[in-house]
Amino acid sequence: MCCSHGFVSRIPTTPPPLLSPRTHIPIPPTIRLPMVTGVAKSIRTKWVSAAVKDGGSAVTETIREDLSFYELLGIPETVTFVEIKQAYKQLARKYHPDVSPPGRVEEYTQRFIMVQEAYETLSDPDRRALYDRDLAMGIQFAFSSRNQIRNQEKMEKGEWRGQWQSQLSELRKRSMYKESGDNMSWAARMRRERQQSSS
Amino acid sequence: MSEQTGYTVASDTEIAIGIDIGTFQCRLAVWNGSQVELIRNTRNQKLMKSYVTFSDESPSPVGGVSNQLSHEYEMLSGATIFNMKRLIGRLDTDPIVSKASKTLPFLIQTLGIGVRPFIAALVNNIWRSTTPEEVLAIYLLELKALAEARLKRPVRDVVLTVPAAFSRFQLVRIARSCAMAGLHVLRLMPEPAAVALLYAQQQMPKNMGDSGSEKIGLIFNMGAGYCDVAVIATAGGVSQMKGLAGSSIGGEDLLQNTMHWLVPEMDSLFSSHGLEEIKSMGILRVATQDAIHQLSSQASVQIDIDLGNGTRICRVIDVEEFEEINKDVFEKCVSLITQCLRDSKVVKAEYIDDVILVGGCSSIPKIRQIVTGICKRSETEIYSGINPMEAAVRGAALEGALASGVNDPLGNLDLLTIQVNAHSIGVRANRNTFVPIIDRNTTLPARREMVFTTAHENQTEALIVVYEEVDDANQLLLGYFKVVGIPAARSGVPEISVCMDIDASNMLRVMAGVIMPGSGPRKPVVPLMEVRMPTADGGHGLCADALNKILGSNLDLVCPHGKLNT
Repeated sequence: MCCSHGFVSRIPTTPPPLLSPRTHIPIPPTIRLPMVTGVAKSIRTKWVSAAVKDGGSAVTETIREDLSFYELLGIPETVTFVEIKQAYKQLARKYHPDVSPPGRVEEYTQRFIMVQEAYETLSDPDRRALYDRDLAMGIQFAFSSRNQIRNQEKMEKGEWRGQWQSQLSELRKRSMYKESGDNMSWAARMRRERQQSSS
Repeated sequence: MSEQTGYTVASDTEIAIGIDIGTFQCRLAVWNGSQVELIRNTRNQKLMKSYVTFSDESPSPVGGVSNQLSHEYEMLSGATIFNMKRLIGRLDTDPIVSKASKTLPFLIQTLGIGVRPFIAALVNNIWRSTTPEEVLAIYLLELKALAEARLKRPVRDVVLTVPAAFSRFQLVRIARSCAMAGLHVLRLMPEPAAVALLYAQQQMPKNMGDSGSEKIGLIFNMGAGYCDVAVIATAGGVSQMKGLAGSSIGGEDLLQNTMHWLVPEMDSLFSSHGLEEIKSMGILRVATQDAIHQLSSQASVQIDIDLGNGTRICRVIDVEEFEEINKDVFEKCVSLITQCLRDSKVVKAEYIDDVILVGGCSSIPKIRQIVTGICKRSETEIYSGINPMEAAVRGAALEGALASGVNDPLGNLDLLTIQVNAHSIGVRANRNTFVPIIDRNTTLPARREMVFTTAHENQTEALIVVYEEVDDANQLLLGYFKVVGIPAARSGVPEISVCMDIDASNMLRVMAGVIMPGSGPRKPVVPLMEVRMPTADGGHGLCADALNKILGSNLDLVCPHGKLNT
């Protein structure tokens, strides 16, 4: 491949290929593109965990993933920070795997991770504002979808963060727009159909 | 519901015992049905020294649980192995191991190549090999026998406290020692988490259901081998860890540094491990230890010892000198606390309600000064409701009761700790950069996923190298595996998703799969990989070196996303 490596005999003879995180592609200047629903994006990034979950246990079927963070915590969108915290603590008491009934640990773990993500997002004023904005625009980020953004967030501090994030999500949407034949990925279509049929 | 699921009633549940194996001392405790009770040994001691002596006279080695030393020198004859907790799960390239090899009376041979050190006890003038795990297992067996004698029932389930600084390798080894001793580990609990649990119980509101006001506590725990810091938010029996930090610093470092100050040439002096050298080393160790203890209550100490080989040490050490000798250790304490406060987003020291100081080193004036200084408290404001020497084991016993499913009608066990992981876990990407996927201080259980892509044209395989970042810029290789069968494509096109998952029992899984974008349904093109970590073992230092050489050669020059390094 790229260079000759001095391999020891026990090491595999093909040079180990490298990975580079796709999320760190330099961001081009703002490009405004037609809005594609963000749901698709969330599925894009979490397909491995979804696949593992599906293969894991049947109980996870009962966990609805299309709930908003507010619905998940069982609180209205107008709540204060204190109320969010209270709701979280209550659900933690209920779903933390340490207090789960034997045999349902995996399901409770799943739920707890979701509750935790909802709490972490809503208890941070900046992230809550961002989430509320997305929610208002009809985008629903499901779990783990913001992880990559959040990782970036930690490194990048400053006022331009929000703007930069929206660029990033635009970029993602754009890349999806490009890749899918008809403006919308398979996953997005499925999600929309499911939402329509459930409502 | 309890009838259906076959819950056992509290009376015949085996309640797991709590064990706090310290580098220097060990304690045992159990939930007795209404409260936590410490288990005493046959000599009515709650604190038992952590060591095991090998000899030809007794059929099996004897440890500090059942044995009584006539004098401390007995422990320093070379026949006794101690400091197991500092040595377990470490490689011979670890500075802790090489420092120990020069200051401990028993034999620790290091080749410095990233393999397990060779450890041996001196029995009848023969160096007899053993391992830290084996020694620990012998010791645990004694603890098990003691607990069974006291509780008049078989003991199998245990909750052990471990330092926050422990790597996953060290956790695996500890669990293995327990298995060797016939114990079943329900939880390996970070020491500050155990203290937090005890604190949460003490802060529980009288009337149930009332979540009460939230209290922020800072826990600083420093023993002989390790130091941990945690920030916790407690309300209504639920304690939520906000930040956790730990390092392998402790009383043993203070001791080693002071020994070096007294005898600067000690490394070469004792390197042969002859009988005379071992004896002098023992004399030096005991004298230094005594001096350090005295410095906690007096301004200076006179040390006057004869090392036996014509060397006589006669020096006065005062507190300032002692603090200067151990500057690095104390600075590390400061940085651990500040890092933990920063990670926990506690921006002002005034937000901390309680400062909890525990562990054997908590009586050292400089330590108290550091902790109270950062937290802007006076010494009298240190939380006084917890016995610093029993906090961790009491917490472990509480967790033992909780994990065994014990119900307390009075609500004393209506507790929950939400923990975080102490170390970031990630993969190597972007040439030779560590990219964290699960950051440190992520609430557990956790699941995180990140999408990567190929670096080269038509790359059909990708190597996933998993690391745990145990200290700043110090990453341990946990394991590696290949993702194969990536369809030939331009670099940057295939999506390689890496998902990491830590479950309720702290088990780490790494999952990986490949998707080619834009080709209909988003389905993995090859079967997913699911790997339990760690997979590397024993010589993992060698693996890391080999892999680093391969991954790092020539490629370090091109690192377009350098900011990832921060």
